[in-house]
Amino acid sequence: MVGPLEQAILALMIFVIMLGMGASLTPRDFTLALKRPYGLMIGVVSQYGFMPLIGFILATTLPVSDPIKIGILIMACMPGGTTSNIFTYFSKGNLALSVLMTVTSTVFGVILIPVVLVLYAGALDLDIPRENIIATLVLLLVPVAIGMVLRKLNANVGAVTEFMGSMLAIFFILFLIVSWIPRNWEFLLTTTWATYFGSIVLGLFGFALGYGFSTLLKLHPRNARTVALETGIQNGPLAIAIIAFTFSGSEAQSIMAVPVLYSLFIVITSTMVTFWFRRVNTANEQPLPNGLL
Amino acid sequence: MTDPTRPWTAFYGASVRKTIDAPAFRTIGDFISATAALYGDQPAFTTCLPNGMNGTLSYAQADEMSDALAVYLREIAGLTTGDRVAIQVPNCLAYPIAAMAVFKAGCVLVNVNPLYTPEEMAKQFADAEPAAIVVVDMFADKLVEAMQGHPIPNVIVTRIAEYFPVMPKAIVGAVQKYWDKTIKPVTLPHIRLPEAVKAGRAKHAEMHNALESYRQSIEPDDVACLQYTGGTTGVSKGAMLTHTNILMNMEQTMELIEQFEKGKEVALTALPLYHVFAFTVNFLGMFSQGAHNILIPNPRPLTNLKRAFENYKITWLSGVNTLFNGLSGEVWFQDTPPKHLKFASAGGMATQGVVAERWEELTGKPLLEGYGLTESSPILTFNPFGKSRVNSIGVPLPSTVVKCVDEDGADVPLGEPGELIAKGPQIMKGYWKKPEETAKTIQNGWLLTGDIGVMSEDGYFSIVDRKKDMILVSGFNVYPNEIEDALAAHPGVEEVAVIGVPDGASGEAVKAFVVKRDETLTKDAVRAYCKEHLTGYKVPKMVEFRDELPKSNVGKILRKDLRAEEQAKVENA
Repeated sequence: MVGPLEQAILALMIFVIMLGMGASLTPRDFTLALKRPYGLMIGVVSQYGFMPLIGFILATTLPVSDPIKIGILIMACMPGGTTSNIFTYFSKGNLALSVLMTVTSTVFGVILIPVVLVLYAGALDLDIPRENIIATLVLLLVPVAIGMVLRKLNANVGAVTEFMGSMLAIFFILFLIVSWIPRNWEFLLTTTWATYFGSIVLGLFGFALGYGFSTLLKLHPRNARTVALETGIQNGPLAIAIIAFTFSGSEAQSIMAVPVLYSLFIVITSTMVTFWFRRVNTANEQPLPNGLL
Repeated sequence: MTDPTRPWTAFYGASVRKTIDAPAFRTIGDFISATAALYGDQPAFTTCLPNGMNGTLSYAQADEMSDALAVYLREIAGLTTGDRVAIQVPNCLAYPIAAMAVFKAGCVLVNVNPLYTPEEMAKQFADAEPAAIVVVDMFADKLVEAMQGHPIPNVIVTRIAEYFPVMPKAIVGAVQKYWDKTIKPVTLPHIRLPEAVKAGRAKHAEMHNALESYRQSIEPDDVACLQYTGGTTGVSKGAMLTHTNILMNMEQTMELIEQFEKGKEVALTALPLYHVFAFTVNFLGMFSQGAHNILIPNPRPLTNLKRAFENYKITWLSGVNTLFNGLSGEVWFQDTPPKHLKFASAGGMATQGVVAERWEELTGKPLLEGYGLTESSPILTFNPFGKSRVNSIGVPLPSTVVKCVDEDGADVPLGEPGELIAKGPQIMKGYWKKPEETAKTIQNGWLLTGDIGVMSEDGYFSIVDRKKDMILVSGFNVYPNEIEDALAAHPGVEEVAVIGVPDGASGEAVKAFVVKRDETLTKDAVRAYCKEHLTGYKVPKMVEFRDELPKSNVGKILRKDLRAEEQAKVENA
């Protein structure tokens, strides 16, 4: 899995990336998103309404072992992760909304994750590691706040920070994919197709439902893209931590197959979705007749 | 007391002079140095890129750098009084430095549209024969071909991120070079702008009276600017605008606007500075107010303006109908309209009533339309703040007389349409090397605009059409603008142009060319809509849907091209 040094490096990278993301925002972006909490509410519903349901259906219909079923369910109940903010940024979505969605789903998660799991998995008694939740929030909010302050103090410092952050983000995404595959080669070869299917499809359904639902409710395309990514992208590391806290031995190992696989494929599918969203965004730009402007 | 020949002066504010006898400065160079001394370290110009990266020059810096570049042009490049200098850059810090240097050096500025094709450039170069050019690296590759007719001996190359801090400059340069690939190698012998400024600065240190001697070599009535105009009326011609023309027009325009507070305004310049409207009003006019001018190199797509609106407290902007229409349609702009805006100025083309209404509703601040021509430096009329009228170009500026005349040059009765003619200190000296064209356009000291206007009883003007666009339908005069305005208000219509086509029954018939916004729009729906809003004879007999309409490079719809197409159809039939 991931060693402490790698974990520290990853955390540092996320910190710098989120600093850059923050530098693209202004307080007004947040007040606007809060003034119209509609998008936020739709986000929470798709996060804790649809995703667990998708997870439940996948877990009950796919021919997988019990630990994998548990893994799929846990994964489906996770809040949005930091990667969703990065992909929202590149998709030209509403980054402020994305950050707020990640924060709300994470905070609500403390209550909602156990409730939803009890609902779908009966007597599954899970330990929610609060430290991890707090760490997630800190790693998200502190750099975003600093980034915003930097931009306010000096637009150039802000813009350079944003540029560096986004460059690092691209590197980060490539790094996740490239470093993950050789490390887990053995594991990839021994995993059954149903586990693959469950881990990949969970995210894809999340994108589709999030996008469809918010488009149906007439959210602006920019916000619909945001909800889609936020719904589909779950906090994989949190799932891993929860499993490590709750289970032990070979059972923990088997359950963990899901978040590990999910974490790899979500980066790949999100990248593809992002390319598509960018195309859609460009196509929807207001046509300006040729002229003085 | 109201002047009976100028009833509109009643609408001037209390502090507005009705007549301005002479400009406050002898030359544009004098104006620049004196103004810069007043505002010193305050920011004068900031280039703001779509990602928020920016570079700023203070009043003092702009003044000092343009001094240095003026010395470079004269002493090192070897130019002399009256030599033309072409500037072909988008809005960026190089523009003010170069333009100010040209004036201080006693040379003549020739604005060149950076998006011109090499052939278009070549034509302009052959006519103006510039001795030097300041060009942005992105377009320098076109020079080789453009210079085949008239070689320009001195080439000064600049860049969009000129005078940015080191990091943003490096990033912008790298992105342009390796990602956008918009910068091609410059193969011509050239010097970089900062090098030229440095060299001029060193030379200036040796020759203290250099600038004073250039200053004395020019007179207020010498040409300051050759402003090329009018693909729409035939051959492209250089309007000779003198120092007095430009200084007066700047002063006349600023005189009418009482809302500006000196040293406190933040202006957004999205219109290109090579265009006479932005040149006189945004560049020089706002400089005279001690404003902080935010320059936007490329406003397309309009999201490119988002960071500028977020990072600067914009108090004023100017634009054309397209800009205001477009901004009102951007979600981010609707969410956060500029809080500090005082008003916006529109010109260049007719502002549609619906566009002005939507803008005013969104921002809560007026959109004031003005009118003018390149030949009048350019402003002739403007709507006074608080007294603006829809679909009106406002009232003539101080020291300006505008009237409507018939084909024989006689005044038409009040309220009747007639060709607008104008007189004032802003009227050009003539067209460069084209005395016959000049004679056709300036008669007895009056500038013939070729626009058909109406004056209201109290002195407000409105344009009803261009002289030759009128359509004669069974003896009725139909003005295309009226029909276009009506159709532009239809939510399914993106753009529209109306012309007259030969028609057996009525002599001429009205034909509308429509670019759809809503794909489901039908021809019958267009006609039905017109019937609702217009008298029968004005309703287009024919409607044709197009993907786009032919336009001049300043965005005016070219009705004459549509007419030529229709004429060809008739001849081929």
